[in-house]
Amino acid sequence: MPDELKTNNILVVDDSPTMRRMVITSLGSLRRVKSTQAGSGLEAIERLAIEPVDLMVLDLNMPDMHGMEVIDFVRSHQAYRNIPIVVLTTKGEEASRTQALAAGATRYLTKPFDPRQLADVVGSLLERADG
Amino acid sequence: MDNPDTDNRGDFFEQFLDDYYAECDEHLVSIRRALVILEDEVDTRTVDRTLLDNLFRSFHTLKGISGMVGLSAAEQLAHDLESYLRELREGKVVFSATGFRALVDGVSLLEGVINARRNEQPSPSIEEIAARLQAAAAESATSDAERSINSDSTNMPALLRWQAEFTPTAELAERGVNVNNVRARLQELGQLGQAKPIVKGAGEIAFQFIVTTDADESALAALAVDGLTFKPAPLDSSQRAKDMQPVPTIAPASVVRVDLDRLDDLMRIIGELVISRTRLEDQVKDLKRVTAPAVWRSLQETSLGMERQLRDLRESVMRVRMVQIGEIFERMTFVVRDLARESDKKIIVQFSGGETEIDKFLVERMMDPFMHLVRNAVSHGLETVAEREAQGKRSEGLLSLSALTAGERIVIKIADDGRGIDRNRVLSRAKASGLANGHVDLDDSTLLDLICSPGFSTRDEADRESGRGVGLDVVKKAIEELGGRITLATRVAGGTTFTIELPLTLAIAEALIVTVNGQRFAVPQSAVREVLEVESAATKVLENNEIIPYRGKVLPLLRLARVFEMNDQREARFHVLVLGEDTNAVGLAVDRILGQREIVVRAIKDPLAQSKGIAGATELGDQRVVLILDTTALRQFATTTRH
Repeated sequence: MPDELKTNNILVVDDSPTMRRMVITSLGSLRRVKSTQAGSGLEAIERLAIEPVDLMVLDLNMPDMHGMEVIDFVRSHQAYRNIPIVVLTTKGEEASRTQALAAGATRYLTKPFDPRQLADVVGSLLERADG
Repeated sequence: MDNPDTDNRGDFFEQFLDDYYAECDEHLVSIRRALVILEDEVDTRTVDRTLLDNLFRSFHTLKGISGMVGLSAAEQLAHDLESYLRELREGKVVFSATGFRALVDGVSLLEGVINARRNEQPSPSIEEIAARLQAAAAESATSDAERSINSDSTNMPALLRWQAEFTPTAELAERGVNVNNVRARLQELGQLGQAKPIVKGAGEIAFQFIVTTDADESALAALAVDGLTFKPAPLDSSQRAKDMQPVPTIAPASVVRVDLDRLDDLMRIIGELVISRTRLEDQVKDLKRVTAPAVWRSLQETSLGMERQLRDLRESVMRVRMVQIGEIFERMTFVVRDLARESDKKIIVQFSGGETEIDKFLVERMMDPFMHLVRNAVSHGLETVAEREAQGKRSEGLLSLSALTAGERIVIKIADDGRGIDRNRVLSRAKASGLANGHVDLDDSTLLDLICSPGFSTRDEADRESGRGVGLDVVKKAIEELGGRITLATRVAGGTTFTIELPLTLAIAEALIVTVNGQRFAVPQSAVREVLEVESAATKVLENNEIIPYRGKVLPLLRLARVFEMNDQREARFHVLVLGEDTNAVGLAVDRILGQREIVVRAIKDPLAQSKGIAGATELGDQRVVLILDTTALRQFATTTRH
C-alpha cells in the first residue's frame, strides 16, 4: 500500500516560537513525519484549510483563539473530526485537563514535557491512525 | 514527569537556550512597556483589559519555556506573576500600589534570574518576592460594583456594518495572503470584531469577520482579489456588544526573528558588492578614452544607477537591524525607580525620541554605559527632596532621556536638573591623584577628560548605585570604540547633560582616503572635525613638538611617520585633519587627500597584524588593502608623547 510510505503532516500550534522549535525537534526522531507550524488558533485553522493535517500538537493558552475553541471547531466538522489532537499545555491548570479531554482532545500532556514521551505519544497515535 | 529517563532532557533543551533568551528578551520588553502604562492605573479601578491579557500571556509563555530549559526559579516566579495577574484580571483583587510594586520587583527579579543563568552565575533568591506576589494575589477584593474593568467600549456612531468572509487557499498563502494579514487590513478599515471560523458546504474552511467602517464599497471591492467577500452584516443587537470588543492587537505573524549573525553576513556581502561597484567605476573611467562617448555615457549611467541601488539595498538591510531606542529608555525607568526608592529622592523621567532607531549591535554595547550615566545622574546629580526644596527647586528631580538622528549619526542626551558637577572639587581631586597640576582652565571638555580618567572618582568609596566596577573612563572608552563621542555640559545647581553621538551603523562608514609617504590610509569621516591646508613654513617646533596656529590657539601636529616608524618625507604643502575637540584637538598631518569614499570596515583579527593606531582594513576596489586609522588611539599617542 502507498500508505506505508505516506508522510504524516503534524501541525504544531503554540504562540511561543521557542516552544514550537522544541516540539518540532522532539518529533524529529519519528520517521516519515513533517511538521507545519501555527502561532495562534486562527492560524491553525487556516493551515487545516490549506493542507491535509494528520495530527495536531496544540497549546491551549494562545492569543486570537484559545486552544479549546480550536478543539471545538475541529471536532464539530466532519472533515477534521478524526484528526488526533495532543494538547500540550503548561502545568498548573489541572482543571483544563478534564475540559480538554471532554471537548475531544486525544491526549493531554503538560509542559515542561519530555521530548521522548511526546515523540512516543505522537508516534503511537499516528500508527493507530495509519493502521 | 512520567518518563523515568529524564536525565537527557536538560542536554536536549540546551540547544534552545539562545532561542529561549531571545524570546525572554522580547517578552520582557513588552512587559516593561505594559508596566509603564499600568502604573497610571494603580488604584484607579479601571485597568485596561487588553493590557492585562497580554501581560498575563507573556508571563504564561515565560513560565512554559523556562520550565522547558529547566530554569525552575524563573518558572516559579513567572507562575506567581501570572497568578497575581489572573486574580487582577478576574477582578478578585484591587490593583493596589503594593501589588504594582510586587509586580515591578517580580519582573526585575525574573530578568535577574534569567540573566544569572545566561551569565552562568548563581541565581538570586526568589522567595521574598514570590511571597509578596502571593500576598498581593490574596488581598481582599473590593465589591465588584465599585470596580470596572475598562474594555475600551467605544460609542460607535451609526457606521456601516459588513460581514467579511475570507476563504484561505494554498495559492493565497503562497502569495502571502493569510488570515493574519487579512485581519490586519480589515482592522485598518474600521472596528473589527472577533474572527469566527466556519465550514462551508463543500467542507471549505472560511473566516467571518464583522467590520464596522465608513469605507465605501469600492474600498471593500479592492480586497476581493485577495479572496475576501463582503455583505451587509445582519444587525443583531445582542451580538453587537460582543462584536464591538476590539480584538487585541497581537504581534503580527508577518514578523520574523533573524539571528544577528545572518544579518552580518548579509551586510558583509553588500560590503563586497560596494567594493566591486567601486572597481567597476574605476574601470568605466579607464574606458572613457577608448569608447564612443554615447556608449560610455550609458555605461557610466548604469554604474551610477547601481550605486544608488546599492545604497538603497544597504539602507534596507540596515533598517532590519534597527531597533527603537525607547526599549533602552523604558529599561532605565525601572533602574531610576529602584534607585529613587532607596533614597530620599523623587524623580520624574521624561523621554523623547524613543522611536529613534539604532543598530541592535550598538544597543547591546551601549546598555552598560547608558545605565552607568543614568545611575550617575540619579545618585550624584539629582538632589534629595529636602535639598531641592531648600534651593527653591521643584521637589521632583527631572531626568530626561532623548534621542534624535542627525544625518548618519544618532544623538542621545541624558540630562538632569540636579546639582551639576563641582569643578573645584574635581580639580582638587585631580591634583591629589596627580592627574592635573598648576592652573588648569577647566572647560567642560577638560572636565570630562578628568572625570573620565581611569581611577578617577569624586566619591571616596564607590557606592552601590554607581560603582559596580565601571567608571566613567569605561563609558567613554566604550563609546569611542563604537566610533562615537561623548560630550558634557554642566552648570552648578543647574544640572548636567551628557551628549552621546554614535554612528547609526558600523559596518560601512564614510572615510577620507589620504596618503602619507605614498601609502594610502582611510580615516573615518566621523572623527574628522575639519580639514586644513598648511604650508610647511607655517609650522613651528616647540620643545620637540610640531604645532600650527589654529583658531587663535595652537594645534599639536601628529606625523604618522613617527607613529608607525616610517621614513619621514615632508612636503612643502600638506593637509591637516583636525581630530577631537577644543583643547584635546590634534592635527593629523597627511600629504594628500585622495577623496571621500564609502568603506567597508573589517577588523584585523590576526594578532601579528594588529597594531596600535590601526582600527581595521578595507579594500577600495583595486584589490589593495588600505589600513583604517584608529583616531582615538592616535590622539592618545599624541597626548602621551607630548613633552
